[in-house]
Amino acid sequence: MLRKEQNDLLTRTGPDTPMGRMFRLYWVPALLASELPENDCPPVRVKLLSERLIAFRDTSGRYGLMDEFCAHRGVSLWFARNEECGLRCSYHGWKYDATGQCVDVPSEPEASGFAKKIKLRSYPLVERGGVLWTYMGPPETQPPPPEWEFATVPPKQTFTSKRFQESNWLQAMEGGIDSSHVSWLHRGDLNTDPLFKGARGNQYNLSDARPVFEVVESPGGLYIGARRNAEGGHYYWRITQWVMPSFTMIAPRGNHSVHGHFWIPIDDQTCWAWSYDYHPVRELTDTEVAAMRDGKGIHVRYVPGTFRPLANQDNDYLMDRAAQKAGRTFSGVEGIAMQDASLQESMGPVVDRTRENLVSTDNGIIMARHRLLRALKAFTDTGVAPPGIDPEHQRVRSAAIVLPPDVPFTEGAREVLIARPAVAPASV
Amino acid sequence: MVSESARMNSAAEARFRVQAPNSRPRATAVIALDRDSQSVIERLAGAGWQHASFFSAASADSLCDLSGRTRSLGDEVDRADLVVLVAGPGGRAHAASAIGEACSRRRVMTTGFVVAATSAPEREVSKTLAQLRPWSLMVVIAGHDSYIDDMLTALRV
Repeated sequence: MLRKEQNDLLTRTGPDTPMGRMFRLYWVPALLASELPENDCPPVRVKLLSERLIAFRDTSGRYGLMDEFCAHRGVSLWFARNEECGLRCSYHGWKYDATGQCVDVPSEPEASGFAKKIKLRSYPLVERGGVLWTYMGPPETQPPPPEWEFATVPPKQTFTSKRFQESNWLQAMEGGIDSSHVSWLHRGDLNTDPLFKGARGNQYNLSDARPVFEVVESPGGLYIGARRNAEGGHYYWRITQWVMPSFTMIAPRGNHSVHGHFWIPIDDQTCWAWSYDYHPVRELTDTEVAAMRDGKGIHVRYVPGTFRPLANQDNDYLMDRAAQKAGRTFSGVEGIAMQDASLQESMGPVVDRTRENLVSTDNGIIMARHRLLRALKAFTDTGVAPPGIDPEHQRVRSAAIVLPPDVPFTEGAREVLIARPAVAPASV
Repeated sequence: MVSESARMNSAAEARFRVQAPNSRPRATAVIALDRDSQSVIERLAGAGWQHASFFSAASADSLCDLSGRTRSLGDEVDRADLVVLVAGPGGRAHAASAIGEACSRRRVMTTGFVVAATSAPEREVSKTLAQLRPWSLMVVIAGHDSYIDDMLTALRV
């Protein structure tokens, strides 16, 4: 249960809200680099944290992200021409460079200097790991570029997708740290999905459906350990990382790629679910990438030409009651990502947390809210920067590991919870 | 035509959700297992929880309430839906096993909570964890004791 005012505080991320101001202290994924594939390509509308923006790549390859609307008459610059190092509004020809600076107002004499007085709000946009990241906070607090391992390994070792989710970011993110739902909602997928099957760890999952959880604060957020019985009295641990405000990394399986998510608010009722898969020490195989493009693992298939999942609320998520009855899927919805998204969207755009009845296995969720609220208070009251901004907090890994019963996972897995170049992940 | 899911997921439809209470109060017993956790329990008890009782471990089959009266461990566990075990680092949570066994026999959920863990050497935290882990279905190590307040609120205590 969360009080209404706390729920409002965490779920509202517009520019004039406390959570919106805190979210703006982080580099966040804005769009895929493939959405701006070449210089002078068409601009792309981007809505982030309740701000409507336009992204483009100019003649010299510079990326720009700025207010979507021309300062003259409020026309959308989605209709603009991307030409000669700037976006030229198609209404009256006003032109803006990648910083949002107006560089030409054809109706005014150049010597008047009028153009220099016009500047659209703009944000930096940098490419890392096939993702274009932006920082929407005050320039004086801009941190170093993101250091997430999936975004820093060689390109052939990583794959990232995004999908449109029709719910507030927080209920989507909470699904990512709610480890206890996996044994139910996704139980049919561990042995069938090509990006999961075959791992020895799957047998521990399937033979012990009542894991015991340990939640421990980490420098950037939380470690959420799920413990199951293994051979010889040992424990099989699956350790998920949550780094503030909305990054998760799920424990790996066998030699499969490591994966996780970012949940980034589009506005208060929708968000982008970013999904990455990477391997720290090897290239992804063609088969793996083909499976990811085909919507396996944590990815989805799309409505053609969009980032909207093919199974969505407009088609009742392609509900298959026969598959549900036969036990091929637990909820009747196919695919891990849409199994999660369909349920999270069914809560409504912003779930009313005053009516929920949490239990002790929900401590990961309770702790995440606690840390967010604590960081928000420290930031709002005294300007303390929240966890997760420091690149050190971003160099993390999840882990799957078998440990003796008397060894805490924070001790036994200490080294493998840190990302180290060319070191294989701890996985079972 | 709009699908049923699209219509029902909307904010407009959220207005028609049944607002009647959907749960009855759950009783929670919060038990300090050592001296470190005693002050945490005393602070918590002052916050006026409606459905929580606060104790310290006394012997293998008894607890002590905050006024110093001895209570039967079995009776208190019988009354509880959830037992929260609170201990500091150092491995002085010896009562965890007796309380854990009582909970296990009665199928009562347990949550183990290690306080003051961030300022203690890891081996001292490990000692306590080794005592709590066999008897806790959820273990939490938080940087701030205020987390217990938030947890109890979240659990509608």
